[in-house]
Amino acid sequence: MPKMNMVQALNLAFHQEMEKDETVVVMGEDVGVNGGVFRVTDGLYNAFGKERVMDTPLAESGIVGTAIGMAIGGLKPVAEMQFSGFAYIGFPQIENNAARMRNRSRGQFTVPMVLRMPYGGGVRALEHHSESKETYWAHTAGIKTVIPSGPRNARALLVAAIRDPDPVIFYEPKHSYRAFKEEVPEAEEVMELGKAQVTHEGTDLTVVTWGSMYHQTRRVVEEYMEQTGVSVELIDLLTIAPMDYKTITASVRKTGRCVVVQEAQRTLGPASEIIALINDHALMYLEAPVKRVSMFDVTMPYFSREQMFMPTPKQIRRAMSETLDF
Amino acid sequence: MLSIRRFEERVLELFSRGELFGTTHTSIGQEAGAVAVIDHLKHGDFIVSGHRCHGHYLAWTVDYAGLFGELMGRAGGVVGGRGGSQHLHAEGFYTNGVLGNMVPVAAGMAMAEKRRGEGAIGVLFLGDGAMGEGTVYETLNMLSLWQLPLLVVVENNCYAQTTPLDLHFAGSFSGRAKAFGVDTGEIESNDVRELHSHFESIVKKVRGTSAPHMEIVHTYRLCAHSKGDDFRPAEEIETWRRRDPLRIEAARLDEESRNEIERQVEEIIHEAEQRARARPPAGARTNRVMEAVR
Repeated sequence: MPKMNMVQALNLAFHQEMEKDETVVVMGEDVGVNGGVFRVTDGLYNAFGKERVMDTPLAESGIVGTAIGMAIGGLKPVAEMQFSGFAYIGFPQIENNAARMRNRSRGQFTVPMVLRMPYGGGVRALEHHSESKETYWAHTAGIKTVIPSGPRNARALLVAAIRDPDPVIFYEPKHSYRAFKEEVPEAEEVMELGKAQVTHEGTDLTVVTWGSMYHQTRRVVEEYMEQTGVSVELIDLLTIAPMDYKTITASVRKTGRCVVVQEAQRTLGPASEIIALINDHALMYLEAPVKRVSMFDVTMPYFSREQMFMPTPKQIRRAMSETLDF
Repeated sequence: MLSIRRFEERVLELFSRGELFGTTHTSIGQEAGAVAVIDHLKHGDFIVSGHRCHGHYLAWTVDYAGLFGELMGRAGGVVGGRGGSQHLHAEGFYTNGVLGNMVPVAAGMAMAEKRRGEGAIGVLFLGDGAMGEGTVYETLNMLSLWQLPLLVVVENNCYAQTTPLDLHFAGSFSGRAKAFGVDTGEIESNDVRELHSHFESIVKKVRGTSAPHMEIVHTYRLCAHSKGDDFRPAEEIETWRRRDPLRIEAARLDEESRNEIERQVEEIIHEAEQRARARPPAGARTNRVMEAVR
């Protein structure tokens, strides 16, 4: 199996899916001739031409709105927001049209589109280039919000997102774009949306995380288990909405303890929802209060200070210890 | 035109009697444009409208019972009695009440039609109020850049809700289209025949060239923005009442024909209302599902 980083894996998904389905259209700022600022759409313009790989004006509202119309009209647009922070200008289209068209038309029309957005910090950029605002999208009924964590699942989830009949926000952890390589099969691979993955089975503590936080957390968990002999169950959430509460709560019923690690700000981040779901479905199994590790409730600071604001291995470790010692 | 008028008058009556609630925006006085443009469209074309959409919907579908049912929140309404006055979706017809919000969506649909290559076009109805929304200009840029077969009809009724044009609009309508290289023209008319022949060549051109066009119809709404108070000058309204599209058309008919048309329309509207009333309220099934979930 070839080894790929996340950018190469996403690019593979595009090449194969566009080859297979001629209604798939890629659009966005600099995605065509240039190949995208992060190179995710590299080579697609030459392979599929300007009709299917469209450079657009700098107009997020127009890009998202046009993609919605194209989707209603029978195409499968995959639009890129160059950075997730730019998507706020397209917010009215996502909230008012993409998310509501199926419901508003009583199922007569759906919007099979994907909005890709690189998100997240740790790349020494600035506020709009480094945020984790998945809550905005997860809060809106009618859209799915997916966050891959590695090359292999990114490729398989992007294929699923393109094929999904409803709008999918595909939040790409840009910190993990080129951080490491994984074996990615050449043959088609599709993962079901809305399913979390238990990536390490354990019995004493459940740790839930997603996106680029997954790798940092995994390293802490592995080190912790080696040093203490504690058995940790690690869950990679993968889809934020609809949330796979069954996998999470089944795990918590087994372990009785849980820590959630999110890069997002604390207030009303996905961790809040996870804790509420544990209350609903596993409260009586809890041996300790559920802890969350998150960013502070501030605007993402500039590079010189961003590491002080993002969750650190030390914070994750402390939260695990406190939960286990409760 | 007359059936749209009588439909909307009945809607306002039902609101004032407390039989309808929520909100609604009538197109009373602006019916000529809707009828004149839509008469040139074919099956496969599509229409995107906004909050003031009853006239467009009825001219396209003649589905009076469906729209009554929708406003009454009944099964059998256009979208099952769940959308209301300004969220109508039917084959080739789409509205959303948020001003300007559907503009890029219409462009995307025109793109899909262009690629399908069957000669279908779209018509997007906007008002002068929506021209304040920035997304309109992002879309004009894209329409021109990608040469999309969309006819944008701006119905300038001189008011953005209650704010008159001179307080909310700078420059000129066609100047805005020209800035993006979009073909454009303007007409001030409430005469359905004049508008009908005016739009014949425009629709033909959009279909033939597969390129966008923006046409401005200067008109006036004779009723309030919604159902509430109307603060516009009485003499201004009176001036436009003399140019009521129904009055212009009625002057061309003899009394016998006028009475006959009135009688037929009354029957259509009455029968449609009764049919809508006969259906159950929407959502009975959903309620059962929600009960089960709780």
